[in-house]
Order: sequence, then structure tokens, then C-alpha cells
Amino acid sequence: MSVTTAEKPAVRTTKVLPSPVTGQEIVLVGVIAILWVALWVSTPAFMTAGSIQPLLVATAPVALVGVGMTIVIITGGIDVSVGAAIMVCSVLTAKLLVDAEVNLGVAVIVSVAAGGLLGLVNGVLIAYGRVHAIIITFGTANLFLFLGLQIFGSGTVNGIPGTLAFFGRGQDGRTFGVPHAFLITLLITAAAWWYLRHTAGGRHFFAIGGDAQAARLAGVRVQRRVLLAYVLTGLLVGLASCFVIAQGTSTLDQSVGSGKELAVIAAVVIGGTSIMGGRGSVLGTLLGALLVQSVASGVTQLGWSSQLSDLFVGIFIIVAVGADLLRARARRSR
Amino acid sequence: MRPRFAAAVALTATAAIALTGCTKKNETDTAGGTDAGSKTYKVAFVPKLQGVPYFEAMNAGGKEAAAALGNVEWLYQGPTQADAAAQADIVRSYIQQKVDALIVAPNDPDSMAPLLQQAKDAGIHVATADTDAPSSVREVFVNQATAEGIGQGLTDALLKAMGGKGKYAIVSCGQTAENLNSWIEVQKAYTKEKYPEAQIVDIVYAGEDQAKATQMATDLMNAHPDLTGLVGECTSSAPGVAQAVKDAGKIGKVFTVGLGTPQAMKPYLQDKSSTAAILWDVENLGYLTAWAGAQIAQGKPFAATNNVSSELSAVEYTEADKMLLLGPALAITDQNVDQFNY
Repeated sequence: MSVTTAEKPAVRTTKVLPSPVTGQEIVLVGVIAILWVALWVSTPAFMTAGSIQPLLVATAPVALVGVGMTIVIITGGIDVSVGAAIMVCSVLTAKLLVDAEVNLGVAVIVSVAAGGLLGLVNGVLIAYGRVHAIIITFGTANLFLFLGLQIFGSGTVNGIPGTLAFFGRGQDGRTFGVPHAFLITLLITAAAWWYLRHTAGGRHFFAIGGDAQAARLAGVRVQRRVLLAYVLTGLLVGLASCFVIAQGTSTLDQSVGSGKELAVIAAVVIGGTSIMGGRGSVLGTLLGALLVQSVASGVTQLGWSSQLSDLFVGIFIIVAVGADLLRARARRSR
Repeated sequence: MRPRFAAAVALTATAAIALTGCTKKNETDTAGGTDAGSKTYKVAFVPKLQGVPYFEAMNAGGKEAAAALGNVEWLYQGPTQADAAAQADIVRSYIQQKVDALIVAPNDPDSMAPLLQQAKDAGIHVATADTDAPSSVREVFVNQATAEGIGQGLTDALLKAMGGKGKYAIVSCGQTAENLNSWIEVQKAYTKEKYPEAQIVDIVYAGEDQAKATQMATDLMNAHPDLTGLVGECTSSAPGVAQAVKDAGKIGKVFTVGLGTPQAMKPYLQDKSSTAAILWDVENLGYLTAWAGAQIAQGKPFAATNNVSSELSAVEYTEADKMLLLGPALAITDQNVDQFNY
């Protein structure tokens, strides 16, 4: 916590909020713009609806879970169980779609509720167990994985009907050319951005990540806030799982969700959120997810070797973390 | 403070995992040979992973063989992820149980070889099925189909739909998967030789991720607007490429084939987004695996042609590479997909 001198409280109140967009976000918009223009000139069809629409759909689940993950990381925590949680929600929902033939609404509600429940488990253990989040979520990741495999039984889920096509890549997944999955992600990101920036409750997450002890002394209900961060992540995992089913095939196998936690954390870090907590932006996370997916699609459309996209993502993470450290140093020396 | 603590904790966790991994290694050197005398032979099969339809179908075939043969107890256990270390633990446990025959579909053939040596030293007859460990002491490899059979089957089915010419791309899975790569090599050579007017424009790798395979197939169609064919090289990308064609509204313009399991491919075969799935009869492969295990457990040699069952009346065995061959690859289409329940 920075020390505020008693002499100039009036000056502080006028600029208590950070600027609406961070430097990282402006850089990301620039990088994505340059990348898209470069791909526009060098590929036959990157800048067409048939290419951009699926790209936005593929970005949605990572960006959506990224909103929750950003809040968790802002509080100084982390959630490495989201991949396994996606598996549980996806297989549960897919089974319901096949066996009970539930409709879209029921499927979404069940999936979101299941995700919220898993998030609650994480949140209670972390907020009240006082063990570091990486250990708790590493443990629950394995528990969730076991749970998911139990629901799978011994086999894949076959013949998933097109009930969730509303969130998918196809014609039913768009209105006026805008993919629903991306639109929903955009709206939730905007709401989270406003909440984090303009409400007291939202600011508390930053306070906790900056210094939990000081936040507690300042009257922030730290445990409740931390619990909420993980529950929110769980709810978003539930919704993202519906997206995952919709953009997959009519078969769901055990690999669903595998490695997604790393993709989400990568998007958050590239988006400029400090892995040490206290600073971050959901808008940056959305841009980070969009950049990663644009690179993956670009590499394929350019006919480059597939593993190059891993190389680029790795470079982005290192550059983003480096930039964050430089910013932190600049702030300290100010 | 906090990040340093996190790093310390992560390091400790990694170290703990590494240590537990190591301590298990040298426990099984003492087992002796005990294969004679017993009437029932324990034949254990360790798949790459369990819980997927492919290996569960092999398990069903193995059970069927055990019931038909009468003197075989069929054991089946695999890791829940296609992980070489987890698979090695299961192999070690079977060595300790002193099964009579141990058959493995190795995730990593190189690291499996010393374990198979250990098993042999313990008096266990060892074999491989589905995926070979060529430089190991295995007595026989139960091969589902030759690379030629699969590569040519995929190419012929696709090019038939494409009218014998045009551009196509391959969505493969693991970049280092040896069997997939050997099929791709055949596809390249065979396409060049038999279909000079056709061309493979790109080969991409999606891992085991269905959504990624679908997205990559979409990107390939955008990168090559004149593309008319896609191959899904494994069971996760075969439905993936078909889904991409369906989502893009290009059924009938872009044709797909793939190495898919019948029930997973059924909706796509029916709506014509997939022309054919190339596979082999997986249950019969399981049957043959159990039969081969029983043979080696009893020390019986293989003939050049073996009558295994009514469905497998002439299984060829080649002495040079010690390989049993299930037979030619099978084309699954909307006509025959209902014959398979996996």
C-alpha cells in the first residue's frame, strides 16, 4: 500500500482510479491490428466473415474463463483447476443433452450451476483453509478430473444433439453475422470491467491483491471477496463449457478441457494482469485471448508449421511479464 | 513474499512428484519364473489409455476370446491419460503379479523396452499390440493393419469422393506419433504415384483437442479456397474435420475422410460431411490379442496362417518381423456403420 500523506487528500480523490485503459491494452490492440492487416495482405481469406467468425467463436471460452481468472489473479490467487472443471461441466451437460434431451436453457443452467459448485469448493478451501491457491486448486484439479472420468464412465459421449448450436460455429450461432458466443463474452467482459473499476466491491479485489492484511484492516471482508472470485470463475467455467460443447463435434472425449487452464492463464498474463496480484484488467485478458487465437489461425492460414504458434505464445508471455516487471520498477522509482 | 512462497511450493511439489516416481523403479527385480503347471493362463493387456471407445472395444474382444478359449484369464488395465509414466506403473504391477503373458500398447515404445526386458527376466511372455515397440524383447506384435493398408485406404476413399483430383490437407494429432506419421508418409507417396492430379497442400497438428482440430480445418479451408478434401488422421480430428465442413456449409464441396470410431462418426457419415471412416475391426483386434497372448503363454509357435476364430480364419504371421496381421483396413460408411456398437 502506498503511503498517502495527510497534506494532500483533495488531490488524491480526483485521480483515485487508474486510467480506463492500461498501456498493455493499447499495445495489444496495436499488435492485433498489425497482425490482422499482415494476415489480410498475405492470406487469401483471413479478413473474411468465414474466417473471422470462427476465430471469435474459438476465442470465446478462453476469454470467458479468463474474466474469472483475472479477478482471481488480481486477488493474488490462481486457479489451475479450470481445465478439469470444464471437463466436469462439459461431460455432465453433454450427458444430459444426450440422455435427457434437455433444452438449451436447462443445459446452460445445469452447466453454470455445476461450475459454480466446483468454484465454491475451491473458494471455501482457499478463503477459509488459508492454504495457498496453487496447492488447493492443484488438488481439486485432480479431484475434478476423477469426477469427470467417473461421469464419462468408460467411453465417449456420442451423438450430442445440436441443442447448443446457438453458441456454435455454424449458421445458428450468429445473429447479423455476430457469433453469439463472442457477443456474450464481450458483454460479460464489459460488465466485469465496469464492476471492477467503478464499484467499491470491485476495488476490494485489487486491495486484497495489493496487501490482504491492509485491506482487512481497512474493512474489506477479505474471505468473502476471495470466495466470490472463485465462485465467479466457476460460474463462467460452466457457461464456457457450453461454448466448448457447441464448438466441438457431436462426440465428447476425455481430452476435453485438458490444458485449458494454461491457455487461460496465458491470456490473462499476456493481457497485462500482474501474476503477483493487485493489478490487472479483464479487457486485457480478452485481447490476450484474441491475440493467441489470431496467431494460431494465422499460422495455419499462412501454411506455417503448427508448433510455431506455441513459440509465439511463449514469446508473448515472456514479453508481457517482462513489461509488467518494468512497469512495477518504474512505479517504485517514481 | 507471496510469489516467492508460490514458487517454493511449486518446486517442492515437483520434487515430491519426481521422487515418488523414482522410488518405484527398482522394486521388481526379484520376481522368478512361474509359468508352468497352471491350467488357466493370465493374459494381461495394458492399453495406451482406458475409457476410450477404441480400447474398450479391444477389451470386449479380449474378453470374448477368453470366454471362447476357456483356459485364459483376461486382465485389462490402462492409465486414464495417454501417459508413458502412468502406463509404466501398471506394467510393473502386472510384473509383480506374475502374469503369464503381458501385452502392451506402448505410449512410448523406447521407454517401454527396458520394462519388457524386466518382465521377460521375471519369466513373463511379452508382446505388443496396436502399437509396436520394435527394439524390445517382445515375442510378437499384433498389428491391426499395415501402414500401407491404412494410408492407401484413406487416400483411395478421399480421392474417390474428390473425383481423383484436387487439393487436400491433413489434420493430424500428435506431431511425434509414429504410427500417424508412417500413415502420412504412405499417403504422400501413394497420392503422388496414383493420383498425379491431386496434391497435399498442408499437414497440421492439433494434438488430441477436437475443438482445435475443427478450428484448424476451418483455417485450412480459408487458406486454400480451392481445397476439396480433408483427412482427419486420428479419432479426435476425424469428427473435427467433418464438423468444420458442416459448420462452414461446405458439405458436398469439401469431402472428408478420417480414422474415426464408428459411433463417433455416425452423424457425420449420415449427413455426408464425412465420406468414410477408415478403421479395422477393433473387437477382432482385441480377440486376436488375447489369442496371441494365450499362444505365447503356452509356448506354442505361430503358423504362417492361423485359424483363430470363425471371423479370423486366416491370420497371417510373418516370422521375419514376428508380426501377426489382423487383415486389410475397413472402410466404414453410412451403409455399414450400424454394424459396430463402439
